[in-house]
Amino acid sequence: MNRRNFLSWGTAGMAALCSAVGVSFGAVVRFLVPSVFYGPPQSFKIGNPGDFPYGPPTFLADEKIFVFRDRERGFAVASAVCTHLGCTVAYFQDDREFHCPCHGSVFSPTGAVLHGPAPQSLNWFEVTLTRDGQLRVDKDKVVPPTYRLMV
Amino acid sequence: MKWIREIWQSIVRRDPLSTDKGKSELVFLNVWLHIHPAKVKRENLRFKYSFYLGFITFFLFLILLTTGIALMCYYRPYPPAAYQDMKDLQFAVFMGSFLRNMHRWAAHAMVVCVFLHMCRVFYTGSYKKPRQFNWVVGVMLLLLTLGLSFTGYLLPWDQLAYWAITVGTNIGSYAPLVGGKLRELLLGGHTVGEAALLRFYVLHVAVLPSLVILFTIVHFWRVRKDGGLSRPIWKLKPQKTEALVTIGAPAAVAPLQVTAASKDKTYGLMEVVTGKPIFETVTPEEEEDTVFSYPYAFVREAVALMATVTTIMAISLFFKAPLEEMANPAVTPNPAKAPWYFLGLQELVSHSALLGGVVVPALMVIALIAIPYIDRNPSRRPRDRKWAIWLFTFFVVANILLIIVGTFFRGPGWAWVPPWVHVVARPE
Repeated sequence: MNRRNFLSWGTAGMAALCSAVGVSFGAVVRFLVPSVFYGPPQSFKIGNPGDFPYGPPTFLADEKIFVFRDRERGFAVASAVCTHLGCTVAYFQDDREFHCPCHGSVFSPTGAVLHGPAPQSLNWFEVTLTRDGQLRVDKDKVVPPTYRLMV
Repeated sequence: MKWIREIWQSIVRRDPLSTDKGKSELVFLNVWLHIHPAKVKRENLRFKYSFYLGFITFFLFLILLTTGIALMCYYRPYPPAAYQDMKDLQFAVFMGSFLRNMHRWAAHAMVVCVFLHMCRVFYTGSYKKPRQFNWVVGVMLLLLTLGLSFTGYLLPWDQLAYWAITVGTNIGSYAPLVGGKLRELLLGGHTVGEAALLRFYVLHVAVLPSLVILFTIVHFWRVRKDGGLSRPIWKLKPQKTEALVTIGAPAAVAPLQVTAASKDKTYGLMEVVTGKPIFETVTPEEEEDTVFSYPYAFVREAVALMATVTTIMAISLFFKAPLEEMANPAVTPNPAKAPWYFLGLQELVSHSALLGGVVVPALMVIALIAIPYIDRNPSRRPRDRKWAIWLFTFFVVANILLIIVGTFFRGPGWAWVPPWVHVVARPE
């Protein structure tokens, strides 16, 4: 085998080896990304409009959302997950503020950050009415805080 | 009786221990002991030089392996069974509570000892040539230890575990571009749930321990190949300093060369390398400073092992590993804190997420790895390296202070509280 042959076969071999390693690495990463998430669904029904009282918001613990119902303006759904480190915020009716227990972030009634380390305001999710008359929340659809569903 | 002696001889293969040859052979003919040299420097055995911190860390790891395997017999890594198994271990399994306590306290102790060991190596300048790479291996072991402790934190599936991991993984998700994706990959989902518990379990009992074992082997091997433990500073002689720090490839000696063989044939390197081999050369006076590993080193190591095991056992008898109520994603305890060794970062994160979650940890890891390559000062004497010592001490103290603040001075809503609140007003 002469030098030219050795180098060209060697280069081809190294290229093949590197691509094999690269593809295998990609396959491993893809394997680790779940194809199906078994966590709670992002879009779900929360019940009939009549289930929710006017006044203070209803906290749904499993879904981690607050459901607001206002006589004039209708329904709105806010996320209860603090945008800082994922803790669950609490709503205080007296001062109409959300407080995060972890690092003391405080959010206004519209979800805007008033104090603390939270980098952005709380999310509001789209809420719609299904054909069977139930409310459906879609956590993948973030809406502005002014969004309301009139029923 | 001769046949008994013959069988014994066939196992140990060595001469009687009453001879010097037998003492040497005990070390290098034994698969477990051969990582030691036959003789070690007398001064290195002094407690005040190394505090045996490397050994103690390793022994803690052995305790964690054995108690961990025992705990695995009773643990199912999915909610809510995981939590029920914790309760079983606590109240039903014979010695279950004691083993879990040992596992928990040894884990905390290992984080502390790895850190102290690193400080010892820094302050004695033992990361300098030719030991630079072993320092890097050591930093990897520090990171793996933190990883092991962090993944183990979730397994009890109680409120403490759930929220510490929620907060801890969210800190990491502030890394630009990849942070969120990496978090999802680690958790196997969007939030801490079943998938996350299983993945943390796999990392905790299989992936990370294997890596620790692998890196430990390299670490020990390099300690030997880099010339054993570094000489205590009080034994450095002025004229010897230069020679000592250039162990391995003395400047005066020609570098290793490969001799040209015949033109049309290539040889493997090992056969034709010439020049001075990369070993520490020992002068006769240095030889006088050494003692046989058996029994001098081994006895001390055995004492360190027994002291470590006894201490962990004693602590486990009197202090229970915490177990709170079962994980509840809907209720965040107030305050929710990450594991204590990440509380310094959490304190920073409470001011700026990007700073505490990304910039500071990334810079710290890079700086730690780079220390032996940035610090080109060959001297190991403290008076010649004031800057390095001041800088390192500043970071160590800053880290410890932040952890203390995060642990004792932060209460509900991450507001300032005096430290005694934690003692007086415990929730249970």
